Amino acid sequence: MPTTYEPIATHTTSGTVSNYTFSSIPSTYTDVIMVIADLGSDTSYKINVNGDTGTNYSSTFVYGDGSSAASGRGSNVSAAPTVGRRPGNSILQFQNYANTTTYKTFISRGNASNHLVISTVSLWRSTAAINSITVTPETGSFGSGVTFTLYGVKSA
Amino acid sequence: MTSILGIYASSMRGAVGDFESIATVTVGSGGASSVTFSSIPSTYQHLQVRLFGRGTNSDANIDGFCWLNGNETQSNYTNHFLRGNGSTASAGGSQASATPTMFSINSGGSGSGMFGVAVIDILDYANTNKNKTMRSLTGEDENGGGNIYFRSALFMNTSAVGSIKLIGQAGNNFAQYTSAALYGIKG
Amino acid sequence: MPNTFIKIASVTVGSGGASSIDFTSIPSTYTDLQILISSRSSFSTGNAWAGLKIRFNSSTSGYTDRAVAANGSSAFSFSDTYGGSFGFIGDVTMGSNTANTFGNTSIYCPSYAGSQNKSYSSDSVQENNATLAQSDLVAGLLSNTSAITSINLTLNTGNFVQYSTATLYGIKNS
Repeated sequence: MPTTYEPIATHTTSGTVSNYTFSSIPSTYTDVIMVIADLGSDTSYKINVNGDTGTNYSSTFVYGDGSSAASGRGSNVSAAPTVGRRPGNSILQFQNYANTTTYKTFISRGNASNHLVISTVSLWRSTAAINSITVTPETGSFGSGVTFTLYGVKSA
Repeated sequence: MTSILGIYASSMRGAVGDFESIATVTVGSGGASSVTFSSIPSTYQHLQVRLFGRGTNSDANIDGFCWLNGNETQSNYTNHFLRGNGSTASAGGSQASATPTMFSINSGGSGSGMFGVAVIDILDYANTNKNKTMRSLTGEDENGGGNIYFRSALFMNTSAVGSIKLIGQAGNNFAQYTSAALYGIKG
Repeated sequence: MPNTFIKIASVTVGSGGASSIDFTSIPSTYTDLQILISSRSSFSTGNAWAGLKIRFNSSTSGYTDRAVAANGSSAFSFSDTYGGSFGFIGDVTMGSNTANTFGNTSIYCPSYAGSQNKSYSSDSVQENNATLAQSDLVAGLLSNTSAITSINLTLNTGNFVQYSTATLYGIKNS
């Protein structure tokens, strides 16, 4: 039976870790959606794909800090910056992640109700299919009880 | 260049879960002037379009419209947005136009291989008591340029949505490898 | 094959309207919740927008929220709209806006049945045939570790009009 929306993997941390990686992501979906529930100290995340730490990433974002709305970007950096936010939750959507023709773009929401609410579009300048995604806090680490879930969405 | 019509899922019957694929389009070599989903069944409660796209003109990025039910020239739409351009957050709005701008993607003037994305949601699309309100999160990054938008548009017509046409502004075409997928969410 | 994205319940407001939309007895068997809301307020004084509010488990305190928003003219940000007694979701269409027009809102609550405080993400648009209309990206949190078993949606002005709908979906991670 065809299933459009499926869980791929999930993990809840039981101790402190510096980052978390979804690996061996199957190429059989159209898009993958990552959901992070993390009540750690205030920071955004940075994203590396397929273990690539070259300066192949960039992001453009808009955010609110409770006082004003603002926008920023990062370019030619070694990880996609300012993706998501904690303490709270983040939702990252990687569309057409498995194609081997185009660069990879992902769009995200980050929600920290006592710090920033943010939306980011990020670019990884590689045509390789995404088979792993590493999430790293821009400051600090992941504590216990952080949940990472990856879902696959399959089009006809 | 001709538009491309959506291709129905080959085996919808028996799909598991309430989020279902209805149709998908991938633009081939030579590009396409638009992407259209037609004969959309009224059996879902909500629709979602997931676009991965690039234009062909020489601009770094293009905006595009989401026309419903063949309404392409009548001033039956509104537009509103929140935008981040990498340096400033801004907003805009317009009423009674024929240009429901719902996505912003890279175009030919940005680096090769760069594609933008959009997730467009139309709730209660088949409800004939309601005008149709569209919401999207969309954006494109150019590694030194780019925009992120939270967009909305109103289609001032209570007819059930039976077709969706995605088209770049000012007649810009979609480049090869652009893909659009239509999903139905049961209620 | 897992049933990942499943409708749990839906509400359609009938003639006469409704002061609230409620989901109760939410099972703990999913991982995340998503609510899709198409709503309109009956309030018709002035021509602006109506605020949509949420409570989990009838909790009347402990909410924090932060929004980045646009009104068709300017972008801005604000916090804690309801002083901690409700969570802010977004702004929706009201009675003096364009007829037959409803807001479009999506709320996502990850790990709703877990043992940590409960956060949510909301994307909400109002829409109106005017230059000015409100849209909000919202981060919310309830500082309460209880699993979410009920959700109450209300408006800061007016009632939900007929044809307003809210559908609750469960999303399972395995």
